[in-house]
Amino acid sequence: MRSHVGHTDVVWQTAWNPTKPLLASCSADKTVQLYSYTFTSPPLFSVATNISTDHTRTVRSVAWAPSGKALATASFDSNISIWEPSRDESWEDIDAEHIEWECVGTLEGHETECKSVAYSSDGTLLASCSRDKTVWIWEGVSTPKFILFIPTSKGKILVQPDAEFECLGVLMHHTQDIKHVAWHPKEQILASASYDDTINLYVDDPDDDWYPVAKLIGHTSTVWCISWSPCGNYFTSSSDDLTVRIWIRVKETRGDRWDCIKILKEHERPIYSVTWGKGQSGKDSLGWIASTGGDGKIIVWNIMGKGADIETIKLASLEASHGVSDTNSVSWCLHEGMENILASAGDDHTVRIWEVIPV
Amino acid sequence: FRLGNRDQFILWEDEDKDYVLRDTMEDEPEPIDEQEVFDLIRSISDPEHPLSLEQLAVISASQIKILQNTVHVEFTPTVPHCGLSTLIGLSMRVRLLRSLPNRFKIDIKVKPGSHNSENAVNKQLNDKERVAAALENSALIEVVERCLSTANRRGSVVIESNE
Repeated sequence: MRSHVGHTDVVWQTAWNPTKPLLASCSADKTVQLYSYTFTSPPLFSVATNISTDHTRTVRSVAWAPSGKALATASFDSNISIWEPSRDESWEDIDAEHIEWECVGTLEGHETECKSVAYSSDGTLLASCSRDKTVWIWEGVSTPKFILFIPTSKGKILVQPDAEFECLGVLMHHTQDIKHVAWHPKEQILASASYDDTINLYVDDPDDDWYPVAKLIGHTSTVWCISWSPCGNYFTSSSDDLTVRIWIRVKETRGDRWDCIKILKEHERPIYSVTWGKGQSGKDSLGWIASTGGDGKIIVWNIMGKGADIETIKLASLEASHGVSDTNSVSWCLHEGMENILASAGDDHTVRIWEVIPV
Repeated sequence: FRLGNRDQFILWEDEDKDYVLRDTMEDEPEPIDEQEVFDLIRSISDPEHPLSLEQLAVISASQIKILQNTVHVEFTPTVPHCGLSTLIGLSMRVRLLRSLPNRFKIDIKVKPGSHNSENAVNKQLNDKERVAAALENSALIEVVERCLSTANRRGSVVIESNE
């Protein structure tokens, strides 16, 4: 009898490890699957490990730390868990395929389903959001590499080093469910997307707390997802209003302004996910955007231009990426030379890998 | 450019042959009409009355439209401030998710002008993430199951036995 491989329920999201050839996916089956791949053309994928997680409900979101050494999971059970390799080997020497991941901390605080989790670009901060209408900012304190055993009458009790994340702020600037959080690729700017149809941007005031610097109005229904451009001067958002929008950061003396400069209308059902990668169109390109959603279509655009004067060139599109099912997520591979590789996750319990091929 | 996918790239395997079989069978779509969809949901019980959605005129056959692979269901809450509208809508969605072939996308909305919070109800009923989270809530699913316990009657009147 063959053992079961892969997810047994809806797959919600995938995330590429920034430093090792590993791809993670999370599912309503409460597990995270890790796949390793080869740096060949095409890459070959195999199942590496499976984290059963301690989550009691759907694992909705996964995110890697920029170092690749830690994985965060966000669940409908309202908790966030942090996972690290269990063996104390140097990260560089670890064989990606054989890492065992253990939970080194659970972040509790949200009152209802947690929808998204993300690491800041320097890895020191974590953001999470929930149906409870709040965004939490957590600060990572470096993980103690020891475990405490406390002797009691019932034997030794293992104490997880639980204190390594501290909440820096609870942001309450949306009026509804918050669907997604995304950090700027270089600076400590956070964006959140909500069921209240708006996008908020937050920064840290050195003298005070995190606060919202902008509320972007434009989408006419739930904003599902946000992805920053690799350069950090733009981001893209996708919505239930069937549009993908591109926003630009306009620097002004009194702070930044964010303008919508493009509206792409190619999908027929809610657009659950959008991802902005480097692409392979050379120096004049701002990268490639891919989007997907309830219509199962994956569309790839090359973004060309400068400043507010950009052009979106449709590179490729594909119908029924997960058969008749919805496609919940797309994400570009981060590895150099593999910027044309895309992972998608679907309601059909599968993760699929795509490559953009010149014809 | 084109988007390519090679078979070995699909990271999923299932030894459950039933699943594969079901998948293959869907390659030959069986036609489904509005009446069929209506039959599936007409006998769902109202959460607070011992009556079916059809008997309460919450739904009717003319409020169902099928366009290609999308099923649109419109329903009429009994009163414009009906607090149970989302529950009724959720029950219909669960019934259709369980009964219709996978290829159908389902849109459920209240009849325009029939509810004070029309937009809020429609939005919640058609947010797949909110629906997925609701279906993991055991208290809520219990109420939905109760509403669905009569759904198989498909409009026929059941004469209660005296025993």
